[in-house]
Amino acid sequence: MRCNDCRDALDLYVDNELAPGEMADVREHLAQCAECQSAHREIVATSRAMRAHLVRYAAPDVLRARIRNAIAEEATRDERPALRRWPWMQLVAAGVVIAAASSALTFAAIRYESPSAQLTSTVVASHIHSLVPGHLTDVQSTNTHNVKPWFNGRVDLSPLVPNLDSLGFPLLGGRVDYIGTHQAAVVVYGRRQHVINVYSWTAGDRQTREPVTSSDKGFHVVHWTSDGIESWVVSDLNAQELDQFVRLLRTVR
Amino acid sequence: MADRDVERFERTILPHLDDAYTLARYLVRDEHDAQDVVQDAVLRAFRHFHGYAGGDARAWLLAIVRNCCLTWQRSRPDRNTIPLTADTAEARGPASDQLAIDSSERAVVTRALAELPPEFREVVVLREVEDLSYKEISDVIGVPIGTVMSRLARARKRLAALLGAGEREAS
Repeated sequence: MRCNDCRDALDLYVDNELAPGEMADVREHLAQCAECQSAHREIVATSRAMRAHLVRYAAPDVLRARIRNAIAEEATRDERPALRRWPWMQLVAAGVVIAAASSALTFAAIRYESPSAQLTSTVVASHIHSLVPGHLTDVQSTNTHNVKPWFNGRVDLSPLVPNLDSLGFPLLGGRVDYIGTHQAAVVVYGRRQHVINVYSWTAGDRQTREPVTSSDKGFHVVHWTSDGIESWVVSDLNAQELDQFVRLLRTVR
Repeated sequence: MADRDVERFERTILPHLDDAYTLARYLVRDEHDAQDVVQDAVLRAFRHFHGYAGGDARAWLLAIVRNCCLTWQRSRPDRNTIPLTADTAEARGPASDQLAIDSSERAVVTRALAELPPEFREVVVLREVEDLSYKEISDVIGVPIGTVMSRLARARKRLAALLGAGEREAS
């Protein structure tokens, strides 16, 4: 093999793209040619530097959630009208519901009390809308101390913004939203590819109401009232983990 | 579209979302734009999923992502000059103390890559970051294997020169 042929084949040699016979030819030539060896070293070094230092990114949870949602919406467009509403809402939750087959029984056992079915669907609609790109957060931060003060002067209450990152529920940010006539502070958490929206607004009275779980269109909703604040938590996360999240939210300060 | 198509799409295509996002990050060089581009690309992939005849799902998705990146770039030529910062916070990489040690070298490598023309940069990312074969790269960017070969070789020569210059500056 001549030097010119060797040089032409060096990148392929480094990338293991040559036929076995050609690999052997290059190897043989390299063993006896210092100049080609040096060219070979340079290619190897460059390739290694790229591999060692170029970051492989992980698709963010919010992106995954948006994509799942967009696909579910897209899928309904092709549905026959009669089949429309139910199948796609199920699709949104399908992965979760199937994956959480074990929790399904637990979930079924929960008694549904829906004091305000209408409010539930309004909150769920708001949750779905929040997954549209650019709508999830007005303040995007994983830091409690950025998110909590952001609400000052924007809403008439100071929502709970505990740091649950170490417990697997990273903070994604916050926004202000309207649920019917309520101006709600919304704190957004993530869990794997799922988005959890925590809505809170000033309650009409100071009565305490324990958490009630319900579901609407495949989303799980938990709401309760305490300390004069009405809270609603919505996610397509499975019911068990959402329960766990609510417990953490109410205990961690 | 039937439920099982959605299910098949999620099973075949979505596992490659990290690869898709990585490619977009290097081609559009902005975190939020990369997210928008990937979402757009995945939706396109979903709409054209019936045209996917099996085979390499990753290369198929990456080809769509790459086209969306090109479209995005054409739509905002003024934003092509955004400097690429070595953003390691969300990276799936070695432990953070190791990152700190690597970070200066990482910045040099990242800057060198950013200086390459887009047609060189994409082959480097596809080869060195995504670890695609020449054949797969040729499928993704739609050029003959010979072109992939020569672009990669020329890209590496330029990178070697840029990295060499960086080292001399540093010493």
